[in-house]
Amino acid sequence: MTTKTSLLKVILLGDGGVGKSSLMNRYVTNKFDAHLFHTIGVEFLNKDLEVDGHQVTLQIWDTAGQERFRSLRTPFYRGSDCCLLTFSVDDNQSFLNLGNWKKEFIYYADVKEPEKFPFVVLGNKLDVAERQVSTEEARQWCQENGDYNYYETSAKDATNVAVAFEEAVRRVLSMEERTDHLIPTDTVKLHRKPRSAGTCCS
Amino acid sequence: MVTSLSSMAAEPELKVIFEHDGVFLHPTSDDDEEDDEDEGVDRDLLVSGILRILQRDSEVVVEFRPQEDTVDPSNMLCAGKDSSSVVQWSQGSEEVAVSQLETQHSYETEWDMLNAVTFRKRQTVSTDGAPSMERNCCFFSINVCDLQSITVKDEGWTFLILTLKDSSSLPPLHFHQGGSRTFLETLQRFTLLTQSEGDESCLVVSAPNKALSQSFENLLDDHNYGLVHKLRRDPYVTTFGGFSKVTNYIMGTLRGSEETQRPPLQDENRAELLCDVIPGLEINRQEEPGFEVITRVDLGERPQVTRSDPLTSEEWSQQQDAEGRMMDSTRLRHAIFRGGLSHAVRKEAWKFLLGFFQWDSTLEDRKLLQRDKTDEYFRMKLQWKSVSEEQERRNSRLRDFKSLIEKDVNRTDRTNHFYEGVDNPGLVLLHDILMTYVMYDFDLGYVQGMSDLLSPILLVMENEADAFWCFVCFMDHMHQNFEEKMQGMKTQLKQLSMLLRLLDLKFLNYLESQDSGVLYFCFRWLLLRFKRELCFQDVLRLWEVMWTGLPCENFHLLLCCAVLDSEKQTIMEKQYGFNEILKHINELSMKLDVEEILQKAESICLQIQSCKDRPSPVSVILGLDSADADWSNVSSSHRPTTSTNGHLNDSSSGQSPQRS
Repeated sequence: MTTKTSLLKVILLGDGGVGKSSLMNRYVTNKFDAHLFHTIGVEFLNKDLEVDGHQVTLQIWDTAGQERFRSLRTPFYRGSDCCLLTFSVDDNQSFLNLGNWKKEFIYYADVKEPEKFPFVVLGNKLDVAERQVSTEEARQWCQENGDYNYYETSAKDATNVAVAFEEAVRRVLSMEERTDHLIPTDTVKLHRKPRSAGTCCS
Repeated sequence: MVTSLSSMAAEPELKVIFEHDGVFLHPTSDDDEEDDEDEGVDRDLLVSGILRILQRDSEVVVEFRPQEDTVDPSNMLCAGKDSSSVVQWSQGSEEVAVSQLETQHSYETEWDMLNAVTFRKRQTVSTDGAPSMERNCCFFSINVCDLQSITVKDEGWTFLILTLKDSSSLPPLHFHQGGSRTFLETLQRFTLLTQSEGDESCLVVSAPNKALSQSFENLLDDHNYGLVHKLRRDPYVTTFGGFSKVTNYIMGTLRGSEETQRPPLQDENRAELLCDVIPGLEINRQEEPGFEVITRVDLGERPQVTRSDPLTSEEWSQQQDAEGRMMDSTRLRHAIFRGGLSHAVRKEAWKFLLGFFQWDSTLEDRKLLQRDKTDEYFRMKLQWKSVSEEQERRNSRLRDFKSLIEKDVNRTDRTNHFYEGVDNPGLVLLHDILMTYVMYDFDLGYVQGMSDLLSPILLVMENEADAFWCFVCFMDHMHQNFEEKMQGMKTQLKQLSMLLRLLDLKFLNYLESQDSGVLYFCFRWLLLRFKRELCFQDVLRLWEVMWTGLPCENFHLLLCCAVLDSEKQTIMEKQYGFNEILKHINELSMKLDVEEILQKAESICLQIQSCKDRPSPVSVILGLDSADADWSNVSSSHRPTTSTNGHLNDSSSGQSPQRS
């Protein structure tokens, strides 16, 4: 029996300490560890799920957020199907940096049509009492930047985490259906070669 | 990995890889540059110009081009060598101002990703109506292949003396407006720069290492620079025997004109020559023209080594004379290399290993040092402690460092008793030391990973100021890894790849076939020196062994080789691809056995050492050619004659079986 299984690559981007790893871990293992190490280098986890009848293996990439590590993380952007732009609602600076993250992603992921690329915005740490970024501000940014879906999440108490990742999957699937890119395979193909190297020479 | 670049090599075009204006020649002081103490910038007009590194096809060229305007030295930053403290102070603050300006500038250009190459034009210090000098005489352009060495000097500013393979020197380049480090870092992408054994200030240029640096650039480097061309030569090929390529060397009246042009050797010739020069070397031609892979045939047996028990407190104190000097530091280091330290000794011994204490200092010396350094520490601590909210609001860099430190301290070793719980004093100390380090080295500030390097040191020292200074010593070694362009990381990954090429070409080829030849998956190992890969106690052991500087330079690279050696079979048999290799390596964390790694790495070291035909870049990386870095030499010359101490006795031999 042949089932349609797609491998979708999503990447979590955002400032250091906004909770990228925690979101990934909450979603994949349903655990939260407030004392998890900050990420050095690049990591990823896979999760199988079914969305609207589609079998999907979600490959979630997590990177080091500090500016300094840019040259390490950017090569991993290529081939992403969706980008989760993450900030923390108790850190205004991380919100202000969303635009930079978006720009960095589009440039290094070599996105052909940036205006059509599925970005989803996550405002994490909803559980923290002292907010610095209001829901309205965040929504407005999302609207102005390409009508992105916005979720306020808490990796700590699991609020909206699964919903957000599933939305990411839906966004990708609807894109791919439109362009008829869904690849029917018998097995999950876990290794996808990075799309052509060296395309960035202008 | 290389193929994708080939299409771009069609048209030789000129690329600016590096550009820095505000580099100066001091024409009148050229003759006795090195000894002239009174050499003053105010003595004459200087030649200001733009220093560039250019890439044309496969060639990399360093070019100095004088600028039209002359410079009034009184306008120059960091002028003169006036020793009055006021002037020194103002120099310092101006330097900081400049470097901040540069950092901000580069930060902006980094986000400004539209330009592949940016031609920076900073406002130059200038001139009104100063007499113009003949400048064309000072133009020069040299091929990087022709560089023999670069001497780095400091006269309140940095100047570099470039020496060519024919032993002639170019006029010193004075970096009055900074930029020498970036220049060297950029150059390092195309060559290997290693400190000369006799002279620390002299960097020996070897092995223009295009293959690796370019493939690296492809995956890991800054795309601002644009991608380059298909490589034409294998790194080793270029190393052996100085086959100098076309030299473009034009010097005007400064040194008398000279022009050397030799036809480049054809690849075939070079390969033949190499086979003649190096026995046991095979050169495989791949389908790709211009790209050769060199296979090394025989490395020989890997010797067995054994490890010892940790050095005890008694054994340590026996090594002190009446005034507290450590009597035989070489033997001590060997004993520590062989067995590590028992925990009680660490607090004191680490200060020596890290270089905070000198081995030949007396107890009195060390007390004085600690007293001064403690004062100095708290003075710097007071600097950030006394920053008001208002000040902080206007200092975004400090604010960003502070915010990230707060976040990371909360995420560093929190399961360790020293840092666990909510209001653990260990956390406060970790935070305060990192903040003080920001004041100590504001240019670097705080970079993620530094909290991991500090945490074990703080736990061992149990003293804020001591931990800070030991951390400073450790950071001196690790600094480049954390800098803006992470040049240290790039160099290490290149070096690791060279070692793997020698140790297991098949494995390296496999990794390359999976787009993993740049070894990005070793990034965390190298940046944190296995801090996240081993349990805490094992990290302490590994680091103290590493800090002995034995049995060769860059031993940590052999630690990586040792782990990869154990994993390569799995990786190749299961035909892991790009993603799975990364995942597999990441998941080794906390599953590694420190003693096994140390043992294997030492074996590999001995194996490479006994291999007579090892490529010279490998010898350079491991420092194997200098007699006193040679493990076997050191071992035999320090074979102990007394038998008061078991460890010191068996520390002498790396190969013979010892007590278990």
